[in-house]
Amino acid sequence: MDEAPLIMGNPTFASITQQISEVVENKPPKSWYGAFAAASAGLLLLLIAVSYLIWEGTGIWGITSPVGWGLAIVNFVFWVGIGHAGTLISAILFLLRQRWRTSINRFAEAMTIFAVICALMFPGIHVGRIWVTYWFAPVPNQMNMWPNFRSPLLWDFFAVGTYFTVSLLFWYVGLIPDIASLRDRAKTRSKQIVYGILSLGWSGGNKQWRHYEMAYLILAGLSTPLVLSVHSIVSTDFATSILPGWHTTIFPPYFVAGAIFSGFAMVMTLAVIARKIYKMENIITMYHLENMAKIMMVTGMMVGYAYSCEFFIAWYSGNVYERFAFINRAFGPYWWSYFSMIFCNVVVPQIFWSRKLRTSIPVLFAASILINVGMWFERFVIIVTLARDYLPSSWEYYSPTVWDWFTFIGSFGLFFTLFLLFLRYVPMIAAAEVKGVLPQADPHRHNGKH
Amino acid sequence: MSETKQVAAAGPSIVLAEFDGAAALFSAAEKLRDAGYREFDCHSPFPIHGMDRAMGIKRSPLAFIVFACAFSAVFFMIWLTYYVGAVDYKLVISGKPFFSYQAYAPPIFAMGVLTGAITAVLGMMALNRLPRLHHSLFRSKNFERVTTDGFFVSVQSDDPQYDEARVKAFLASIGGKNVEVLGDE
Amino acid sequence: MSSMNHDQGSAGDKYWRSLDHLADTPEFQAIVQREFPEHASEMTHPITRRNFLSLMGASLAFAGLAGCRRPVEKIIPYVVKPEEIVPGVAQRFATAMPFGTTAYGLVVTTHEGRPTKVDGHPGHPGSLGAAHAFMQASILDLYDPDRSKTVLKEGKESSWPDFVSAWRDLYAAYIKDQGAGLAVLSGSFVSPTLARLKAEFLKAFPRARWATYEPVSDENIYEGLRLATGATLQPVYRYDRANVILSLESDFLYTGTDSISAARGFSDGRRIKTEQDSMNRLYVAESTFTVTGSAADHRLRLPGSHVAALALAVARALTAEGAVVEGMSGVDVPSGIALEHEWIQAVARDLVRARGAGIIVAGYQQPPEVHALVYAMNRALQNEGSTIIYREIKDAALPNRSDLAALVNDMNSANVTSLVILGGNPAYDAPADLNFEAALSNVRTAIHFSTHADETSRLCLWHVPQSHFLESWGDVRAADGTLSVVQPMVDPLFGAHSSIELLSLLTTGTEVSGYESVRATWSLYLKAANFEHDWRRVLHDGLLADSALPAVSPKVNGAAIAGALKALMAAVSLPGLDNMEIVFRPSASTFDGRYANNGWLQELPDPITKVAWDNVALISATTAKELKLSQGLRDGQNHQPMLRLQYQGREIDMPIWIQPGQADYTVTVALGYGRRAAGRIGDGVGVNTYALRTSTAPYFDGGLRVARLDRTYPIASVQDHGGLETETLASNEIARRAPTVLREASLEQYRKNPDFASNDVVLPGFKGLKDKDGKPVSIYDAHAYDKGYQWGMSIDLNACIGCNACTVACQSENNIPVVGKEQVLMGREMHWIRLDRYYKGSVDEPDVAFQPVACQHCENAPCEQVCPVAATVHDKEGLNVMVYNRCVGTRYCANNCPYKVRRFNFLEFNPGTSGFMQEDSPEILKLVRNPDVTVRMRGVMEKCTYCVQRISSARIAAKKEGREIRDGEVVTACQQTCPTQAIVFGNLNDPESRVARIKQANRDYELLAELNVRPRTSYLARLRNPNPDLEQPVAG
Repeated sequence: MDEAPLIMGNPTFASITQQISEVVENKPPKSWYGAFAAASAGLLLLLIAVSYLIWEGTGIWGITSPVGWGLAIVNFVFWVGIGHAGTLISAILFLLRQRWRTSINRFAEAMTIFAVICALMFPGIHVGRIWVTYWFAPVPNQMNMWPNFRSPLLWDFFAVGTYFTVSLLFWYVGLIPDIASLRDRAKTRSKQIVYGILSLGWSGGNKQWRHYEMAYLILAGLSTPLVLSVHSIVSTDFATSILPGWHTTIFPPYFVAGAIFSGFAMVMTLAVIARKIYKMENIITMYHLENMAKIMMVTGMMVGYAYSCEFFIAWYSGNVYERFAFINRAFGPYWWSYFSMIFCNVVVPQIFWSRKLRTSIPVLFAASILINVGMWFERFVIIVTLARDYLPSSWEYYSPTVWDWFTFIGSFGLFFTLFLLFLRYVPMIAAAEVKGVLPQADPHRHNGKH
Repeated sequence: MSETKQVAAAGPSIVLAEFDGAAALFSAAEKLRDAGYREFDCHSPFPIHGMDRAMGIKRSPLAFIVFACAFSAVFFMIWLTYYVGAVDYKLVISGKPFFSYQAYAPPIFAMGVLTGAITAVLGMMALNRLPRLHHSLFRSKNFERVTTDGFFVSVQSDDPQYDEARVKAFLASIGGKNVEVLGDE
Repeated sequence: MSSMNHDQGSAGDKYWRSLDHLADTPEFQAIVQREFPEHASEMTHPITRRNFLSLMGASLAFAGLAGCRRPVEKIIPYVVKPEEIVPGVAQRFATAMPFGTTAYGLVVTTHEGRPTKVDGHPGHPGSLGAAHAFMQASILDLYDPDRSKTVLKEGKESSWPDFVSAWRDLYAAYIKDQGAGLAVLSGSFVSPTLARLKAEFLKAFPRARWATYEPVSDENIYEGLRLATGATLQPVYRYDRANVILSLESDFLYTGTDSISAARGFSDGRRIKTEQDSMNRLYVAESTFTVTGSAADHRLRLPGSHVAALALAVARALTAEGAVVEGMSGVDVPSGIALEHEWIQAVARDLVRARGAGIIVAGYQQPPEVHALVYAMNRALQNEGSTIIYREIKDAALPNRSDLAALVNDMNSANVTSLVILGGNPAYDAPADLNFEAALSNVRTAIHFSTHADETSRLCLWHVPQSHFLESWGDVRAADGTLSVVQPMVDPLFGAHSSIELLSLLTTGTEVSGYESVRATWSLYLKAANFEHDWRRVLHDGLLADSALPAVSPKVNGAAIAGALKALMAAVSLPGLDNMEIVFRPSASTFDGRYANNGWLQELPDPITKVAWDNVALISATTAKELKLSQGLRDGQNHQPMLRLQYQGREIDMPIWIQPGQADYTVTVALGYGRRAAGRIGDGVGVNTYALRTSTAPYFDGGLRVARLDRTYPIASVQDHGGLETETLASNEIARRAPTVLREASLEQYRKNPDFASNDVVLPGFKGLKDKDGKPVSIYDAHAYDKGYQWGMSIDLNACIGCNACTVACQSENNIPVVGKEQVLMGREMHWIRLDRYYKGSVDEPDVAFQPVACQHCENAPCEQVCPVAATVHDKEGLNVMVYNRCVGTRYCANNCPYKVRRFNFLEFNPGTSGFMQEDSPEILKLVRNPDVTVRMRGVMEKCTYCVQRISSARIAAKKEGREIRDGEVVTACQQTCPTQAIVFGNLNDPESRVARIKQANRDYELLAELNVRPRTSYLARLRNPNPDLEQPVAG
């Protein structure tokens, strides 16, 4: 892997810093403003939808009995899943010494943080009494009541909360040297002060680097089991229930695979856009994109396997309710969502067998979008399994209302608003790390002159 | 940074020398180490592998601190879940045991990780004496390139065998460029 | 119909929070402007206590807001003496609810003088301690904010004194010419005082005309018996003594007169303990699936017009079997109509075998001739006197359609100068062919006396508010003649007057209090010597002991019957697409329209169709196929195709509903919908089917033509949302699951395999995995539930007839909100106990069974472990308790409930409860709430609590007396009201308790036992008793 040059057009340390920092220092391109306008419009829609929700109650959504959870939880799982690729790239690939990660880990991590913000919002607003959600926290209170640690929702509260905090720390630690270089390049006093504070007074001394690298390593080490646990725990929202189609042990691994799958699709989408707008083709090379395509293909086949395995077990278990739940998924009133899921998640990734296709930007872009659509449908399919459980008398049909959709669209507004602000004000690529993988960064290359 | 020049010197005075490239900095570090210097540091835009050995400094103790804190958090959570479920508020929930440790594992694990991560960051800052708003090094205009493509060695006056003249000479001898003294004048 | 669509559209918004949410919708404002110009504004704003009082009059101040307001006259509490009112401690009073030509004894619970709950009177022959849906819901009518509050003259606010003086003038005039031109149109009643006043009225005005009309009544039964015997008789059935019952389109278990005692008797005849016992057998022949039809062991579907022929055929068969039926000489079963001769033979044989222990009963919708013949048959079978007792009718005004017709004639020929309408709403429910509205315009002085300013009031010069029976004095006779005093629970909330008070004013020209009138009447029944003492006893007991009227043994007049039958048989025709039969029947929710403004009843689904908030045109699957119609399923909601019904030159448009078991080529429509002036709830709900109904054929008739329209209309159904039967995948699965969910066997199968219920399991290998107590093994050691009280419930599916009474009783007891059609369409109804209805067998000849499902209080409740804040947990008495004020509203518990019995407050269904952002409800509607039960706010989960408030009050009582709670001391609301006593509740820890012993029965099974949630509620499997002589019995 290391044979292929990770960064094109053998740049100097200075040119790397220049290329990455000027994005933050100069005015953004026109396209940025256009994108930002669109994104903040979406954010506004979200604010409206949520305000009305709080005013009127969750009844404005399509949820009913027995489908007590609707798009809100679909979106929650969807966004949490998106987040996972970021941590995977920054933590797991780091531990595996996958040096190619350096070009994409920074905004992959940013993506994680923003996705998790979107995700955290949904369980927050979908409850009936938003003003008492703090009861989730085990704080002594006047009612002398404690939360119920057996509830998967409480696990979510801890797991996703931890996940968000750790991702944020990890991201910030990675940023310190780059903020320091912004500080040193700063022309105005105010910037010097702001960046000076944010960079904590970083001086790049090796005595700092050794603790810094240890901290980074530990964070990576902690994030790795965390990222695997988070989506497993999210999956237990369903797996620990007693409902047919939910109560199954395959959920944790299959959710994690799905998360990485959708996460990489989202990184791909963002990377393709970012490198285009900011001319970063030399840093985010086809080599990176291709690697991600390969990972998507693998994880895509994992979820495909999970889908078929579910069906087999439903039949093999002999549980009549389980059997019907799955037949109903594929051929019941929601068949369309099931087959959209199969097409997007199982069929589409197969195109990556062809090197030609997996190295074509438009194909990668289209595929990454389709895969995220498919992964959203996967969660939808799981949720609407509620519609038909044990007693036929209570069967219902869930159809989202316009407010469900507004909230969903709005969450994209939130995500892209944050992401565009990130592109504008934060070095989108980890310059210090990129420098570290340049050939001349190797102290034992004594002819190392540029 | 003209303004900062007026600021009274914080900490010891420093001799700063620039080297070109990672390799040069690396060998300089080894030479300083062999010459018996202790209170010196090598500044580079990115971490250089093996530099610790080259400078003769030990591995970071951060791991042990994190380990200790993370596990005390784990034990705290075990106690909390036990206290909540089996002591303070004994509620029969789905006919499960009062201390359903199996079901408590996820939050316990999560708290361990959370505490570990926070300790890692705070510990790193503590060990690095960060955050700090100023450092003598920042007086040097040249030093601003340290985060871009500059490679520097700084020797501090609190080194046992510190002698400004000898240090300057030594740094120059091992290939240090624009050597300068920062600190009280 | 398009206008109706529009109404419903807006109705959607109207209803979607709660019945009292509408206080400021334009629709309601319009009504207010019409009715209370003075106080319109107050009514349309959230009502503060102050302006509410000014609005309702200072006298209301104590009605329940300030509490403790009992009428000045002495009324005697049922259990507690009135002297000792302990705030917070409920008092119970006995009274009676007049209904048609019978009455139901009540025990009314009042809190600080505010009636909050109605239940059956255990000692009363009409209610036997139980209460049907209408009785339960009558408490809500008392607090209906739309009840008229002032006397109206020409629609403008007037006053009672004005009316009195106006009447005095008329009175003087009419007295002179003996009441010529004066007429009274009353509803039917059986009341000594009213009867006395009626007699006095007619004495005072000999030339006055008195007509009695009821849109739905037993008129045909009385006519028939008069035809057969020449006497006016009240049949009283003793179903508990019957082994074989043949119902000729009689829904005696549900809509028939005295349905409670019928249901109790019928279920007593089926309540068997072991496989050795025997049970009665029910044959039903009917056009429309009724509750009674669902209880049948053999059900025969045929057009209503063919029932007469069937009756005749049965009579012939009986004669052939040796029970010679009189009154058939020369009458032949019309040829050309297909009758199930085998069926008829079997029934006849069974009836003859059960000579003296059988009942043949015909529905009130059948013509008098049929009733006459049925009388003759019962006589031939010697059932008369043993299972059927005929009693004379006293103190009654019996309905009579021809009297109404005559009255209308007089009105048209301007012979009526003043018409007093005593209750009822003829402008709405009089037969269409009489065109009552037009006739009314010829009357100079029309006085309408009613609880609401309704369709009729609009057309009358005067409207006088009538008081609710819970706020007025009166008396009434039960079907068997037993006398009760109707005693008020509160003074009239809106200062209205009772019909007794009005009638005495009409008769004497002076005001007499109802109390005085009733006591005057009762001086006949109570000895003057110790009148006061006996009076107090009557009030306390709620009835006069041994006042039932004696049985009479009438003579049968065969010739008359035969003569009438001939004519009837000649008229029988064959229905077909071009000559369909229309069947009118009272609505299960609004009856004849009188309950249209009652939110509880409007939201109460029809027992069979499960449709709420609308009436639909029921047609059979075959007919639908021929009309190329099908249930309209879209997004899980029924958008039903519309049908135009044309009958005798009149037409209405209605949504269809394909009803399994409906007779082909018949269209059944419910009466009592499409009200225009019912109030905020009832206006514009459903279609007014009276528009098609004529005086000649009030219940069914041929000659209906239908045309399908290319419109659809949304119908809210609480089960099979979206008509699952239209989707094969679902319907096949339902067919496969139903037998394991609702377990049932024929008596024969039960005897062969007594443990069929418990052995019937779903999961393979499940049977092997049981621990010592026979429950499925659990990986945890279960918590011990062997101390103190351990509450549990048993529901006998063999007794349950699916009458919905429990649902309303629960709603009343537990302050369950009404959510409205929009929400029901979305599947958000809030009922804590629902009745699941399952069809089995073919779509043409299905077998219907009901299963009441409320929270099962599982010991391993799946809802508990998933709640993040421990808002639903177990208490030490085994209750699955829901902590409302801890609930965050994640709805996870509802998702994880395998029975789906948890209900969520998606919106502010109880206005004002979330304390912010939402408007308040009219104070008056808060008066109906049970102070012992929390009113749940928005965003909170709720569910059945096993009436925990009743458990704790019983515990308090027991603690005071230093004893244990006795078995049967805690009675849940559903159990208390159940006409068939299908529900038993008690302490499982006491092996002697009734529930513990019942759970020992081999028919006992737990719903979804294989999930090992260990429910505390278990069911007794259903049994059917098909006739071995008949191949393929209805029941599997």
